[in-house]
Amino acid sequence: MGKKKKILTALVITVVVIGSLWLLQRLLVPKYMTGIVEGAMIAEYYEEEKDHDVIFIGDCEVYENFIPAVLWEEYGIHSFIRGSAQQLIWQSYYLLEETLKYETPEVVVFNILSMKYNTPQKEAYNRMTIDGMKWSASKIGSIKASMTKDEQFLDYVFPILRYHTRITELNRDDFKYLFHRDKVTFNGYYMRVDVKPAEDVPTGRPLADYTFGETAYEYLDKITAICKEKGVQLVLIKAPSLYPYWYDEWEVQMEEYAKKHNLVYINFLELIEECGLDFSTDTYDAGLHLNLSGAQKASKWFGKFLVENCGLTSRRGDEKLEVLWKDKLAAYEAEIKRQTEAVSKE
Amino acid sequence: MKKWMLVLLSVLTIALIGCGNGENSGNGENDSTPAPTKGVTGSENKNNGKTEPAGYVFEYEGTKIWMDMDASLVVNALGEPDKYFEAPSCAFEGLDKKYTYGSIEIDTYEIDGKDYVSCVYFRDDLVNTPEGICLYMTMEDMVNAYGNGYKEEFGMYVYEKDGMKLKFLVKDNEITSIEYVSTVLDAQ
Repeated sequence: MGKKKKILTALVITVVVIGSLWLLQRLLVPKYMTGIVEGAMIAEYYEEEKDHDVIFIGDCEVYENFIPAVLWEEYGIHSFIRGSAQQLIWQSYYLLEETLKYETPEVVVFNILSMKYNTPQKEAYNRMTIDGMKWSASKIGSIKASMTKDEQFLDYVFPILRYHTRITELNRDDFKYLFHRDKVTFNGYYMRVDVKPAEDVPTGRPLADYTFGETAYEYLDKITAICKEKGVQLVLIKAPSLYPYWYDEWEVQMEEYAKKHNLVYINFLELIEECGLDFSTDTYDAGLHLNLSGAQKASKWFGKFLVENCGLTSRRGDEKLEVLWKDKLAAYEAEIKRQTEAVSKE
Repeated sequence: MKKWMLVLLSVLTIALIGCGNGENSGNGENDSTPAPTKGVTGSENKNNGKTEPAGYVFEYEGTKIWMDMDASLVVNALGEPDKYFEAPSCAFEGLDKKYTYGSIEIDTYEIDGKDYVSCVYFRDDLVNTPEGICLYMTMEDMVNAYGNGYKEEFGMYVYEKDGMKLKFLVKDNEITSIEYVSTVLDAQ
């Protein structure tokens, strides 16, 4: 065999091996298309027109409680939610850092519930937030900050190392979504139209120490700093979720932080009446998250606030955005109809 | 050529079954994938439900309660709770449930459709531990009953035994909170 032929053979085999592993990896990673869809949320941002007025960052308390479609319809605000389940504050920071490389919104809204966590929590949640990110310095930073003691950085670089045991659990979705994903949110908003009233919501049990941790503050400082550096107005919020319990001692710390850094801080728990929220009809899981009806009310209140206090003006009439939102609103309305019909049949 | 085929097969085999091998993957407790699984919030925890009393065992209205025991045994014994609250976790299937019975609250977690006791919390001073400690007693009472083998942080005194914790929060020499807690959910 000639030298050239040997090199060519080696090259072909290398490509075949790498290609096979790549394909295998794509097959083995969870698709999050049915059932637990929260792991598919983060990646949806990359397909968007990155010209948003408002970017929401945070955990389920943003992606289940605020609706970009309502902000657009009512106020002409073009927004997107970069949120995922139990998104920890360092993950929010790195997602924000990454987002600000793509665009510079007028306002960034950050939900502060994640201040209660000061250390990495759970690999499964890490995966749902981090795996969807494109590779960048921000993703690397997020992995390093998030890894629990038993996790390996290399498992994030080559997910096949972590997911190889799924080979015996593959299902139809793994093949159906081998090369593409469907959208599971509406500009980051996760919709639920069903109702489960909030009753007997537990109050908080006494804690030994109510002080938010140093790491949590470190990343809140970073979020504040990067927004200032980019000229973006940062609005801190505590979403109107009744559970987990939000302690008065936590509230004081956030109010003091906002005052010290000259930030707007809105605690929606104090605005339940003003927003018109009724937790006998506006939640689908007994007060943890708002349903569509509740999220529409919270979004309308917040849109008005953003226009009146953050200098946002309506972009209705912008030809490009009108075309974009025509399709988005059609999908949003279709999902409302689909879910409403499904609920009424139950 | 055969050598190359061998290399190809070896790499694919390693990728499928060899790598990780359960030692460097996951939470160290098992080798399940970190993909969402049914049960407790994001849990890949082993179901270490305890069929026999272990650790500090609490007793309420004649029913013995220990951490990680089958919650249905407690609920069946104590009957209809005064209050009930269930919290689905973000993203994951399964419910964390809270039952209120008179002076105590009982929390449960779910694994594979079955509920286990994760916490017993004292709501008032009408109930005491089998060792005779109730809310508003002093730290000296606590030490007399349980000894000095505690760990303390910010006034929380923790006695650990057989994979569970008994926690006393002490403020101004007064016990202000008592909880029996499973360690299964510690990483969450």
